[in-house]
Amino acid sequence: MGDPLFIHGVDLAVFVIAVVKVVVAFVVLLVSVMLMIWFERKVISDMQNRIGPNRAGPFGILQTLADGIKLFFKEDLMPTNADRVVFKLAPYLALLPALLIFTIVPVGGVVTIAHHTVELQVADPAIGILFLLALSSVAVYGTMLAGWSSGSKYPLLGAVRASAQMISYEAAMGLSIVAVVLESHSLSTRTIVDLQASSVLHWNVFRTGVIPFLIFVVAVTAELQRPPFDLSEGEQELVGGFHTEYSSLRFALFFLAEFMNTITMSAIIVTLFLGGPDGPGFHFLRWLWPILWFAGKTVVFLYGYVWVRASLPRMRYDQLMDIGWKLLIPLSLAWLLIIAAIEQSRLWGVAILVACVPIYFLLQRSRQVSRRRAEMQAVETERARSRKDPRSVLFDSLLADEPAGGEH
Amino acid sequence: MGSLDSYLPIFLLIVVGIAFASLSFVASKLLAPQRPTSAKEAPYECGIEPDREPPTRFPVRFYLVAMVFIVFDIEVIFLFPWAVVENQLGRFGLVEIIVFAAAVFISFVYLISNGALDWVPLKRVRPITSEAVRTTASTVRRVPPPGGPGRRAVRTGAAGDAPGPDMPEPSSVASSSGGEAA
Repeated sequence: MGDPLFIHGVDLAVFVIAVVKVVVAFVVLLVSVMLMIWFERKVISDMQNRIGPNRAGPFGILQTLADGIKLFFKEDLMPTNADRVVFKLAPYLALLPALLIFTIVPVGGVVTIAHHTVELQVADPAIGILFLLALSSVAVYGTMLAGWSSGSKYPLLGAVRASAQMISYEAAMGLSIVAVVLESHSLSTRTIVDLQASSVLHWNVFRTGVIPFLIFVVAVTAELQRPPFDLSEGEQELVGGFHTEYSSLRFALFFLAEFMNTITMSAIIVTLFLGGPDGPGFHFLRWLWPILWFAGKTVVFLYGYVWVRASLPRMRYDQLMDIGWKLLIPLSLAWLLIIAAIEQSRLWGVAILVACVPIYFLLQRSRQVSRRRAEMQAVETERARSRKDPRSVLFDSLLADEPAGGEH
Repeated sequence: MGSLDSYLPIFLLIVVGIAFASLSFVASKLLAPQRPTSAKEAPYECGIEPDREPPTRFPVRFYLVAMVFIVFDIEVIFLFPWAVVENQLGRFGLVEIIVFAAAVFISFVYLISNGALDWVPLKRVRPITSEAVRTTASTVRRVPPPGGPGRRAVRTGAAGDAPGPDMPEPSSVASSSGGEAA
C-alpha cells in the first residue's frame, strides 16, 4: 500500500531522493521529447523517400534543439482580440498534465538507496489510475482555452473540435482501464505492474482478452490527436488548429506538450497492458534490465504512432464520432461485463455473452431509427421549401449543418 | 497525514514544470525582438483582412456531445470503486453493475435513435442542381500552348543561354529589390 519511500515520514534523505527523482524524470522527459521529434521526422522521411533532418549534429539528432533555440529568438505575439490572461495561462495547462501523467509510470523495478526502498517511478499514489484520468481531463482545458482565448476563428473551431473529440474518446479509454483494474483490484500503477510480472501470459493484454488493449490504443491515439485522428489541426480547413495564433515560446510549449503526451501515453499503454518493466533479466546490473525492457516496449509504440501517421489518411469527423460513440463505448462496456461475469463463474459469462446478441441488434435498430428519422426530416424540409414555408430557412440551416445565425 | 506524503514528488514536479516554463518566458523576453505591428497582431486569415468575427454560436451537437459525455464519465467513475473491490462483492456486485450498465445503455440507445450523436448532414432529397458558378471552366485561365521550338529548347536544358520571354530583365530585378529595401 502506497509508496514505500514515505512509510516512515519525510526526512531529509527522503526529500533529497524525491528531488533527485523529479529532476531526473524531468530531464529524461525533455531529452526524450527531443529525440522523439527527431525520430518521427527521420522515420517519416525514410518512409517518404526523403533524407530528413541531417545538418545539426550526427544524423541531424540535434535538429530539435536547434529549432527550440530558434524559437527562443522569435517574437512573441499577442493577437489583438486575445483574452490576455487565459492566452498566457493555456500553455501551462497544456504542459503540466503532460509532465504529471508521467509521474505514475513505473519505469523500472525497486532499488535500495541509503536504506530506503525506492521504486523507480516518480510517485506512486494509491489512486494512480484516477490521477491519470483526472489529468487527461485537465489536458482538454489547455486545448480549449488556448483556442478560445486566441480570439480568432480557426483556433476556436480547432479547439471545439479537439475537445469534443477528446471527451468522446475519454469514456472509451476509461472503460478499457476499468477492465485492467478489474484484473488487478488496485488503482496503484505499481501494483498493476507487479501483478503482471514473471510471465508474458500474465500481462493484462492477455488477461483482459486483447479487446480492451485495442480499444485503449485507439482511444489514446484519438486523445493525443495523432493521425489518423488529427482533425483538430486539419491544415486544409483549420490552418494549425488551436495553436494557430501562438508563436515563439508559447508555441514551443504546446509542441513540447504534444510530444510529451505521446511519449507518456505510450508509457501508460505499456504499464497497463504490457507488463511495464517486466521482462527477462540477468544477474549483473540487475536494476538496468527492467528499465531497458520498459524503454524498448515504449519505443515500439512510438514507432507505431509514426508508422500510422505515414500510412493512414485523416478520418472524416462523423466517422471519428461514430467510431468513438457507437463502436468503442458499447464494445468496451460489453467486454467489461463479460470479463466481470467470467470471473464470477463460467455460466455467468456465457449468459452475458448471449445477452450481448440482442443488445447488438438493439443498437443496430437504434441507428436505423435515427437514419430514418433524418430522412423523414429531409423530406419534410423539401416539402416546406416547395411550399415557400418560412420554416424552410430554419431547415436549410439544419441541412447545411451550420448555425442559423452564424453567417454574420 | 502520512498518506499525503506520497504526493510530494508530484508537487515538486509541478514546481519544476512551472519554473521551467516561466524561466523560458523570461529568457524569451530577453532574447526575442519586440516589434509588434497591427498586421502581425491581427487574427490569422492568410493575409486577407478578416471581415468576420469568430463564431459565437456553434452547432448544438458539440454541446450535446458534452452533455452525453458527462453521463458516461460518471458511469466510468462509478465503475472504478466496484472494479477495485469486485472480488469481495461477488455476485451481488456483478448484478448491481449489470443493472447500472443496462440503465445507462438504455438511455444511450434512446440518444442514438434520436440522432443526438449523428454528425452527417441530413440526407439530401433534392438532387444537387448544377448551379455551381465556380468550375474549372470559370476559374482556370486557358493559356495558349507553348508554341515555337525555341521555348522547348529552353526547357530541355539550355536555360542559361536564353532566358524565356516571361523572365524579368536583370535590370528590373535589381530595381525591384532595391525598392523593397528602401
